Amino acid sequence: MGGKFWTYAKWTLRIVLFLFVAGFLHYTLPQHDIVRITNTYNRLTTVGTENSWAYSSPDSGTAEGTTTRDIRFVDTAFANGKVMVYRNEDTGWVWPPYFKYDSSNLQAEATNLKSDAANPKWVVVTHYGWRLPILSIYPNAVAVREASGPDEQIIPWVNIVVLVLLLFVVVMIRRMWAQFWERTVEPAAANVEEAWDGVENRAGGFWGQIKGWFSRKK
Amino acid sequence: MIGLIRLAVFGFVALTVVYLLVSIYSRSVRRERLEKEWDSDPAREGSLLDERAAFIEAGMAAYRHSLRRKLIVLVYIIPMAIVAITTYLVNYQ
Repeated sequence: MGGKFWTYAKWTLRIVLFLFVAGFLHYTLPQHDIVRITNTYNRLTTVGTENSWAYSSPDSGTAEGTTTRDIRFVDTAFANGKVMVYRNEDTGWVWPPYFKYDSSNLQAEATNLKSDAANPKWVVVTHYGWRLPILSIYPNAVAVREASGPDEQIIPWVNIVVLVLLLFVVVMIRRMWAQFWERTVEPAAANVEEAWDGVENRAGGFWGQIKGWFSRKK
Repeated sequence: MIGLIRLAVFGFVALTVVYLLVSIYSRSVRRERLEKEWDSDPAREGSLLDERAAFIEAGMAAYRHSLRRKLIVLVYIIPMAIVAITTYLVNYQ
């Protein structure tokens, strides 16, 4: 087997994995928009197979067991005139881990902060998710508060903390795996090699290959 | 509400798995350090394997009562605190 093929395969796998993880984090982590709320309402919304992943599961949403249900929405406009529509749904208790169950209150707060273009009241909307019109999916608003102005700078503390924690977990998993390999697998492999003199070349090569997938050290 | 109970049950199971893995890792790191400590000490060259085993066992016994081992319980506490803080900030602020 050519070494080039493995290099390409490895890098393709790594890039796909990186894009998947980056997209996943971009979808899940909170983001802040500074907008003006123009309208709040609810409407019957049909959730299909292509976009149900971007909506709450039925038992944490507003109705059970149907694909058409009433969902709250918040219409907004940015300072530059572009618009954004948020949905406002409970998240439930598993994923995404916002544990949000105050959608009604949030809708009332958003309605209370409504303003028109002549008298704008700028609002920070914390949300996660994407607005993709082709799939009819909307970011889910998590919190609203009044902004000091349309140019307010927001430091994404939650994202910083979450990313640092994730990095820590990844480093710990690698260290635990390395320790497991060094203390458990390698001594066992050494025993096998001693017992089976003829097979050990192949076994060593095989384990070396597997190990190469998981670590770059040595 | 049933969702919260589900989270608590599955979360507890998952955190128990993490707790066990971290315990095994921590113990393994300590044992390795004790082995290296013994092996790298020139004064102990040529000493009996029994002495080495006794030294490591004494070290592991000390580890069992150490603060480091007890701190592994943070594996349960930190995620639970994060869930509680998130729930509070999202719903009551």
